[in-house]
Parts: sequence; structure tokens; C-alpha cells
Amino acid sequence: MLVGTIIYALINSAILALMAIGFNLTFGISGVANFAYGAFYVMAAYGMWLIRNHTALPYPLAVAVMVAVNVVLGALMYRFVLLRLRGQALSEVIATFGIGLAILELFRYYGFVGFEYTLPVFSDRSFVVVGTYVDAQRLFILGFAVVLVACLWSFTHFTSTGLAFRGIAQDERTALTFGIDADRVAALSVAFGAGLAALAATFIIPLGSISPEEGYDVLIKALAVCIIGGLGSSGGVIVAAVIIGFAERFTDSYIGSHWTMLVSLLAILAVLVVKPSGLFGKQKELEERI
Amino acid sequence: MSRKAWSVVLVLCVGLAGVGPLWAADPVVIGVPSSLGFLEGKEALRAVEMAVEEINAEGGVQVGPEKRPFAIETIDIRDAAPGVPVPEALLGLEKIILEKKPAALLVGPFRSEALMAGMDIIAKYKVPMLGTIAMSPASEAKIKENPDKYKYIFRTCLNAKFLVKYLAGTMAFVQKQFGFNKVYIMNQDVAWARKTAEITTKVYFEKAGWEVVGHEAFPTGTSDFSSALMKVRAKGAQVILPIFDMPQSGTLVKQWNAMKVPALMAGFISPLAGPGAWKTFDEKIAGAINVNFEMGSAVASDKIPASVDFAEAYQEKYGVPIEAGHGVGPSYESVYILADAIQRAGTLDADAVVAELAKTDRSGVMGRIRFDEGHQAVYDMDPSEAAVAAVIQWNTDGSRTIVFPASIAEGQIQLPPGLKPAR
Repeated sequence: MLVGTIIYALINSAILALMAIGFNLTFGISGVANFAYGAFYVMAAYGMWLIRNHTALPYPLAVAVMVAVNVVLGALMYRFVLLRLRGQALSEVIATFGIGLAILELFRYYGFVGFEYTLPVFSDRSFVVVGTYVDAQRLFILGFAVVLVACLWSFTHFTSTGLAFRGIAQDERTALTFGIDADRVAALSVAFGAGLAALAATFIIPLGSISPEEGYDVLIKALAVCIIGGLGSSGGVIVAAVIIGFAERFTDSYIGSHWTMLVSLLAILAVLVVKPSGLFGKQKELEERI
Repeated sequence: MSRKAWSVVLVLCVGLAGVGPLWAADPVVIGVPSSLGFLEGKEALRAVEMAVEEINAEGGVQVGPEKRPFAIETIDIRDAAPGVPVPEALLGLEKIILEKKPAALLVGPFRSEALMAGMDIIAKYKVPMLGTIAMSPASEAKIKENPDKYKYIFRTCLNAKFLVKYLAGTMAFVQKQFGFNKVYIMNQDVAWARKTAEITTKVYFEKAGWEVVGHEAFPTGTSDFSSALMKVRAKGAQVILPIFDMPQSGTLVKQWNAMKVPALMAGFISPLAGPGAWKTFDEKIAGAINVNFEMGSAVASDKIPASVDFAEAYQEKYGVPIEAGHGVGPSYESVYILADAIQRAGTLDADAVVAELAKTDRSGVMGRIRFDEGHQAVYDMDPSEAAVAAVIQWNTDGSRTIVFPASIAEGQIQLPPGLKPAR
């Protein structure tokens, strides 16, 4: 039971990290808290479902199409909505939340509710890992989370666009003096975040089903992970995902599933009281120093 | 205009005047306030529409001396969605009553919590309601306590108490046939499911020699059951009794299969009811046993021909089979029950209609329908005496076999591959 709980806690941590990494990337670079993130996640999943069930396109192509669609829509959202609001945090939150709400409720209005709305697992095999049955999809998630983090790290350290991302994230004004177009990078960060939401949906949705509620759930979990880790901190996302992932599964196994959400919220509260910027965040500390 | 043209206009006018009275009759408005975005709500509404079309095709419902067509007004009160507070759902209920002036409400709140709170609104405006989804028997207790006030509320779907009868019957067979006596109960944390788990434990498991090795309630929206399934294995449970009506509950079956949990899955998981579940779950649900709450809701039996006719007509009209195992059959029947009551009452006066609804004795899709003193349709094991539910088991070829009750059973419960009897 203990070993099984640890294995599933690790997988849960990977799921949380996947859910949060796109949101964190966008905020870390552009400072935009994209509250439509959960809606992008769900929209991509519904899109893949529609393509898979109503066209002859092979599934991998459906995934590629929806990742691309999300990237384009993310960029368009930045260009036509967020560009005008840039720097006004509250307005950005209200605008993105409004867009997310509209998308999710539109799916509900058109009756996209039911267990038939799900995506296929990559493999339906199960494996015994240290005496615990684990399905292949969960192992894929674990592997993909590791690969994705490694890829993002390489991207932000060894490519010109990635270095521009880091430049803007570290100091936008100084980056401007080096000829980095802040608006272009910010648009790219929102687009990348939306694309990552689509990728996360591809891996995570097959474990359950697609529903408008999933959008809210993903947003809350992404926020929880980012707040605990420190908004904008990639390392913080991973550590926070592990903390919440383990807290949730151990609560489930040894206390009761009812307490799962409470434990997550208490973890957020405790971290914020002790370290207002999150475990690895710097913003609040910088403000206080100024 | 020529004389010929004037003649044509005159003929048309006379013709229209002739058919005028038929169309001039005010429609009898049926309100359908429910969670219409959810499968059960969506298909229940379709069933109401079907019955209304059939009745209107015959000229409508007889109200005193005239026949009047039914008209449907709907509102999605979203009470089944996680996080939607009951007061918000009740606003929708009150809105449809005040704005659309329905002669009766059908389907009604999805969640028993919303029904319980909504009963006062329904009583205040004196609108007869035939509920077809919310299942907590607490509403019947309320009616029995104050029948004058709450007499307007009826229920044609199964309630938690009758569901327990079917669960107990299934478990008794499993115990007798395979020697299983250790059960792990997993239920959604909503009124009807909590009550079902509680009554089944008290009324059946504790008295029939079963050991409840674990019992866990899950908040609506839960989509990871791995911890609970590990407990099922660790505690040596032979049977899992799931009681869920949320779409995410299908994840439980997926995980049960992926984690190769050596326990029979027997209970109610809403996504497992209809024929589409076989494809949805990648053909991995063989052996799972599911209570379809009412005959006509995603299940039909040759022994109740009306249920077969209904299923075929539904598929023909909508192009897809019924997938919801709850609420669809009763919603279809409720329109006919209402039409019969209005006809017998000869008026739309709520008190007169309610008095006639209480006298209902109708044989239809679900078997024979009569109401008890709590205005609950009586469910039992023989369709010629009462309404019936149907316990189905999924076979390895993707078909479903009715295994309980005996009066309509097509076969016996079989253990899924890999599971062995305890004796």
C-alpha cells in the first residue's frame, strides 16, 4: 500500500506539473496570468475528440492540429485582447477569465457533457511496478513530464527565442535595449502556454473524460502549483507539483478523499504565510525590498 | 386583382377558418427544469419531446370538452454541475414557473438537494411535478409529513429505497453463487448516493453476513480512484459496490480494469448503462454489473414490449440509442401519466390534476405504474404488478444481459475473466 501510494503520488505530481507548466511559462515570461488556460486545455481536448470522431484524420495528426490551433488562438488572444491591457494585472485576469468562462460555458451550452467525450490511451497495457499495477498511460505521463521539462530547459538556455524569453522574464526594459521585441515575446509566451495546455490534455484526458468542469479544475490546480512554487519559477513548479501530488495521494490513501482538496488549500496557505512569494518566487520579496 | 385570384384568397380564408379552432386552442405548457447539459437530463428531455409529439399527433390532450396540444418550455438549472449552489438552481425553477406558467413540471431537479429545497417553491406556486431523476427518499418523507402542502410532487423514477432492493437481490445472488462476502462501498458524496449506501449497509449487508471492508465517499467531479482501488486490493474486498451518477465515474471502471483489481464491480455507474459504453471503455468492461434504474432507460426487454417499442422509436427519431440508465423511461411515461390525469380531471386546476395523478394505474415502458402515499412510483420485481428496474451484466462480446430481477432475466451473473469464486 505504501509503495503503491508513492508510485501513484509520483504520477500525480507529473500530472500536476504538466497541468501547470504552460500557465507558469506564460506568467514567468510575460507576466500575464492567463486565466483562460483551463479553457484552452479543454478546448484542445474537445477539438481532438471532434477531429477523431468526425473526420478521417489519424489521431496523431488531430493532436498536432489542435496544438497548432491552440498556439494560434493564444497568439490571437494576446494580439487582440491582452496587448491593450498589458501591465494592468487585474484587467488581464478579468479579460482572460472572461474568455475562458465563455469558451467553457459554450461547450456546456452545446451539450458537450458525457463520458463519451474522452481521448484514447496510447496503450491499454498495464505493468507491475514494485508490486503495484500501473497502466501504461500513467507511465507515459511520467516519462513525458520529464522529457518536457528537459526540453523546455534546453529551449530556454540554448535557442535564441528561448534566451529572449529569459531576457524578458529577467528584466523587460534591459531586454528591450538589446533589441528584443517584448510584445512579440509575450505573444509567443501566451501562444506556447496554450500549446502546452493542448499537449497536457493529450496525455492526461485519456485517464478520465472531457468536461467543462475540467477547465476550472485544471486552472485551480495550475494556480495552486504555481503559487506554492512561486509564480514564474520553473523549478518551483516541479517542487510544488511534488509537494501537492504527494499530499493529495497520501491524504486519499490514509485520511480520505474528502480531505484532498482541503490539504492542497492548506498547503497553499501555509506556504504563503511563511514565504509570500512561494517557495522559489521573488516578486513579493523584491517589492518589499523596494 | 382578378376574380379568379379573389376566389383563391376566399377559399384559403375559409379553409384556414375551418382549421382555425384546432390551432387556436391554447397549448398546455409543460415545464422541464433540469440539468439539461447532462446525459440523463438531455435524454429525459428527448423522451418528453417524443411523448409530446405522439400525443399532439393524436390531436393533443383532452382538457374538458376540447383537445389542446402540449407545448414544452425548458430551462437548464445546472444543479448537477459541481460547484453550482442550490439557490442558483432554484432561481431557474422559480423563473420557469413564473414566466412560462406551466400546467405541470416534468423531469425536475437533478440533485435531491435541489429537489428538497425546491419543494417549497413548487408547493408555493401549486404546480404539479413528476420528477424523473432526483432519487432521495427524503422528499417522500416530507410529503408524508405535510401532504396538503407537498401533494404536488410525484416521482416516477426509481428512488434510493427501491434501488437498495435491486442491489440487495444482486448481492444475495453473488453471495450464494460465488461465496463472496467482503464488499467495498464507493459512493458519490451526494444525497441519493449517500442514502443508498447507508440503507444498503443497514438493511442488507449487516444482516446478510457481509463484511463491509471499506466505505468511501467521493466529491462530485473526482476523477482519480487509484488510492481507493489500492485499498480494495489491500483489504481483500471481493465486490466493489459503486454508486455514482457523474460522468467522471467512468474513470473508476477504467482504473479498475487497468489496475487489475480482483473484485467484481457491481452497482451503479451512470456511464456504464448504455450500449455505447462498450466502445467508450475500449471494450474493457466485460463482467461489470450495472443497475439500470428503470426499464426503458437504456435497456429494453421482450417481456415488456412497450420498452422495446420505445427504444426503437427513440433510435429512429434521434439516430442514436438511449445511453442514460436513469430518467429516460420515466420521463416518457410521465407525459402520458400527466395527460391521463388531466383528461380524467377535465381541467388544468392543479389540485384536481394532483388528485387524479395519485390514482394513476398505468402499464407502459417501465411496467405497471402506481404511486404510494409518498407519491413515489412503486418498484418491485414483476412488471405486471409494479414498475421494474433492470440489472445488466456486460458480456465479453459487448452485449448486455439482464440478470435481475428473475421475472425479466435473460441469464445468470457470470464472473469476469480472471476472477474466481470464493468457494
